[in-house]
Amino acid sequence: MKRPASRAARRRSRSWRDYRGYLYVLPAFAVYLAFAVLPALHTAYLSLFEWDGVTLGSWVGLANYREVFADPALRGSVVNALVLVVFFSFLPILAGLVMTGLLALPRTPSGAGQARRRGMGVYRLLFMLPQVVPLVAVGVTWRWLYGEDGLINETLGGVGLGGWARAWLGDFDWALVAVGLVGTWVLSGLCMMLFLSGVQKIDPQLYEAARLDGAGPVREFVSVTLPQLRGELAVALTVTTVAALASFDIVYVTTGGGPGEETTVPGLLVYRLAFSAGKVGLASALGVLLSLLILVIVYVVNRLSRPERSEP
Amino acid sequence: MAWRRTTLPGTVLLALLALLVTAGGALTPGSAADPDRPRAVPSATAVPDRKVTLRLTFADAPAMVDALIAAFHKRYPDITIEPRYTQFADYVKSIKLTMASDTAPDLAQFAVGMDDIAARGDILDLAPYRDAYGWRQKFPATALDQLTGSGRQAASGRRLYGVPAGLSMTGIYYNKKLARKAGITRPPRTRAEFDRQLAAVKKAGMTPLGVGALDSGGLHLWAALVNNAMPPERYRDWVKGAPGATIETRRTLAATRKLVEWSRKGYFDESANGTTQTDSTARFTRGESVFLVNGNWAAGQLSEAMGKKAGFFLLPGERPGARAVSSGFSVSYAISSRTRHPQAAGAFLDFLGSRQAAKIVSDNGFLPPDGSAVPVPEGVLGEVARAHRRVTADNGMNHFPDFAAPDMLDPLRAGVQKLIAGRTTPEAYLDSLQDVWEDRYGGAP
Repeated sequence: MKRPASRAARRRSRSWRDYRGYLYVLPAFAVYLAFAVLPALHTAYLSLFEWDGVTLGSWVGLANYREVFADPALRGSVVNALVLVVFFSFLPILAGLVMTGLLALPRTPSGAGQARRRGMGVYRLLFMLPQVVPLVAVGVTWRWLYGEDGLINETLGGVGLGGWARAWLGDFDWALVAVGLVGTWVLSGLCMMLFLSGVQKIDPQLYEAARLDGAGPVREFVSVTLPQLRGELAVALTVTTVAALASFDIVYVTTGGGPGEETTVPGLLVYRLAFSAGKVGLASALGVLLSLLILVIVYVVNRLSRPERSEP
Repeated sequence: MAWRRTTLPGTVLLALLALLVTAGGALTPGSAADPDRPRAVPSATAVPDRKVTLRLTFADAPAMVDALIAAFHKRYPDITIEPRYTQFADYVKSIKLTMASDTAPDLAQFAVGMDDIAARGDILDLAPYRDAYGWRQKFPATALDQLTGSGRQAASGRRLYGVPAGLSMTGIYYNKKLARKAGITRPPRTRAEFDRQLAAVKKAGMTPLGVGALDSGGLHLWAALVNNAMPPERYRDWVKGAPGATIETRRTLAATRKLVEWSRKGYFDESANGTTQTDSTARFTRGESVFLVNGNWAAGQLSEAMGKKAGFFLLPGERPGARAVSSGFSVSYAISSRTRHPQAAGAFLDFLGSRQAAKIVSDNGFLPPDGSAVPVPEGVLGEVARAHRRVTADNGMNHFPDFAAPDMLDPLRAGVQKLIAGRTTPEAYLDSLQDVWEDRYGGAP
């Protein structure tokens, strides 16, 4: 097993080079480890205990996980979160695409340079505003809007649909939809911003080519813009899906999970179980499962959005 | 090389995991109580004659606390109390850790979950002071009863973990002017009479009862019905977790069915489930409901907004002259077992029972422990104060139902919402409450 000395030396130097990279990563990795990885592992560890947060915990193995699957209220909250994905993710992306289509197209024939619409800054500001306002303020505002004497019911009454008026957040059939639409309102602007910035880096020649082939604005959007936005779509889908599944603030402020358990989401339950009920282990188990669910969904989204063939 | 590069972080993680798992025994979260700390206050009440500073952490009524502290400091110039205010929601979730830490404050406001803190020995049993200071004469018996801990030990009533400053109580407000329009000239004397009044208001085309069921209004109404159905002693056993107690009785079932019946007959605000307590109170002041379920904390606001139009009564029992029962709790304070000045802290608690404190408490919108210490106020505030005296005299103050367990609030709130909307049966609702109870105190013996 003897090797020539020169090869061993080369090997040593190569291995040093291999690991030198980690040295550069180390500061960032240390922060990541201390504030993201270790807390996550600690949560996973706590999920194996029955613990009230103060007194000595007791080891219960996987019992907390069994309870998450057995308890209909906990399972129901996950279903609610999945319904919210429609409102937090699908609808905002649709709205963002439509707004992008209207704002970024059609372009002037002279090229992309002059493609900026007048008042673009105002549109951006307006649609981005919901992202900037704290979610708690958003929640309080919408609670007023949805109130029995709120703007939405007044408007319905004004157009002769007074029979439809109701306390939306207290209605067993409509509360989840109402909460979901708040999310749509918040996240549409974010999606639009993502898509608008994506549109700007599309090669204008593609549009020119499409136009030479006789494509109208709609065709241009579907055949050029949409495929070129694949990356941004993936980002939007990921961010908004995580926002839906991990939602807490909007629900906490608007309905507190009610009426009944119609709008209870896992994030709310994690908070309640850990801080009010003194069931830190169960809360951790729910948190771990929620994280796993999010990871799986994000993985699938990224898998689907990957281009079939990598470009040279 | 490629193999080693990709797995180094993985190896580190695996090693960490292995470390966590193998060290499991040593790393069990939490810590056991320190057996060397005192569990009860000393029986001596002599206040030290040197400068002492006490720290007080609290969540309710900052103005009242400031005034109490100032008045106390005047009486005991050597004792300074430093208040530390925390918002209620944050207070409730951090108080356990605060009291378990080595830097725990000397005094802390009592809150849901304090029973666990008492069981762990982080706050002192005040029973020696109760006897030395004669607190049984200074504070209503029910107010002290609510501060005796939970589980088996509570039933004996020997311990005491807090002393009340201001008391609270729920009941029903009514708009006297609108009520007269429906032919109602006086508060009902029986539950059946109240039923007829609700029907009369409905018939007159007005909304009978405002309930803010989006947050806690629904459970206050349910509790009021249960208070008059279940013998208070049985109900208190249940809230305190006495072995074998149950909320699933024939009488509570009837009370719960009554709530459903009122809802079905359209006696509540149509949007009750989407209305907060604050909103339902605002609507009541605008004349949008004739009755309102709320607590004494709303009396000041209603008196200001409605003047003589506002009235108050307790939900009556089955028969006229039945025992006056209501739900309420107190803003009360406990002493940390880590304090170095239990006597000074005890002197402050004793001060809460003084006439001077009663006046401060009353000025800040709470009911003083000793109602006779302050003159009965005018208008609706006076009606609340008189009702409270009746409840105190009848030993009829029950805990709020969510005191039964730290996680009882959500099943109560969500459950009443479902009852109002007809989405659950009274049987299933009571069953869900009992499930939470048994989860905490253990099943039937």
